[in-house]
Amino acid sequence: MLNNFLTSPKWIDIENWPISWEIGGTWLFPFLESIHVIAATLVVGSILWVDLRLLGIAATRYSITTLNRELVPWAWGAFIVASITGFGMFITRAAAHVVNPAFQWKVFLLVLAGLNMTYFHYRIYRHVEKWDDVVATSTQLKITGSLSLVLWAGVMLAGRWVGHIV
Amino acid sequence: MSNIAGLLSDSFLQQGALWALRNIPGFPPIIQTVHILGIAVVMGSIVLLDLRVLGLAVPSQKIGEMTTRVMPWLWWALASNFVSGAFFLFARPNRYFNNPIFGWKVSFLIPAVLLALFFHIMSRNQANYWELNTPRIWTARCIALVSLGLWIMVAMAGRWIAYSEYIYFPA
Repeated sequence: MLNNFLTSPKWIDIENWPISWEIGGTWLFPFLESIHVIAATLVVGSILWVDLRLLGIAATRYSITTLNRELVPWAWGAFIVASITGFGMFITRAAAHVVNPAFQWKVFLLVLAGLNMTYFHYRIYRHVEKWDDVVATSTQLKITGSLSLVLWAGVMLAGRWVGHIV
Repeated sequence: MSNIAGLLSDSFLQQGALWALRNIPGFPPIIQTVHILGIAVVMGSIVLLDLRVLGLAVPSQKIGEMTTRVMPWLWWALASNFVSGAFFLFARPNRYFNNPIFGWKVSFLIPAVLLALFFHIMSRNQANYWELNTPRIWTARCIALVSLGLWIMVAMAGRWIAYSEYIYFPA
């Protein structure tokens, strides 16, 4: 079933949208890609502080809620920009991307990063008042922080690898 | 610039870089990812600091404290990016030293680094240096605005090097 989905002719139809041709054949593609790199590095650059704080490595004089409140909106804003620019690039080679192992890994790692973030926000974060200012953070916080770092680095590696396969 | 490319061509630096890029499995995307992670630290340090000085981000962080805290991360990231970038530079010097976009990248990078260095040194000598009085605050904001633009252009130009190659070095 998954195979049918990935090799569906619908993906080719996407490649044939007028906008796909417009992006793929003009300066728009490198332009979108530059914005994508800037947005993606901003996502990781801002999440990095929250993760390092959860690990008790950096920004320890700030409470976890403060960093969360001030940095996560930047990460989300940049993520939205990265998604739009990413989608713009995706449609130019949709059929090739969906069967590209690097692209599949990227989507998989993004989902894992999302699940880790959801677990942190809806489970761990409920008891934030107990460990908001703690520098020597609990193992649970260290695990979620490290997972986030590793998963986002993996998303970047897979994302960069997409261009080496297509 | 072409002279540097000439010097590097067939040097042991080029041989070494080409060997690594061709023989270590996955080395090009891995080293590029290291380079991009370095850019992420640039975004998380100097770019966030610029946004803080402009009053756009992380309002609870004190400018002086934030500067001395994030700048070491910037210097390490730049050192790392110099090394990861050098593999590609040494491997194909003509691709870079004869490419005007690479020239632009360096021309944006040098003032960006100098501004960051200046901002860091002043903050290190006196923690509240950039917030002491109105002229200082406005100087800091001007520096932050220019710095922000320069770092964005460094990243942009970096990405365009590969595309301009098709324009300047048609296969």
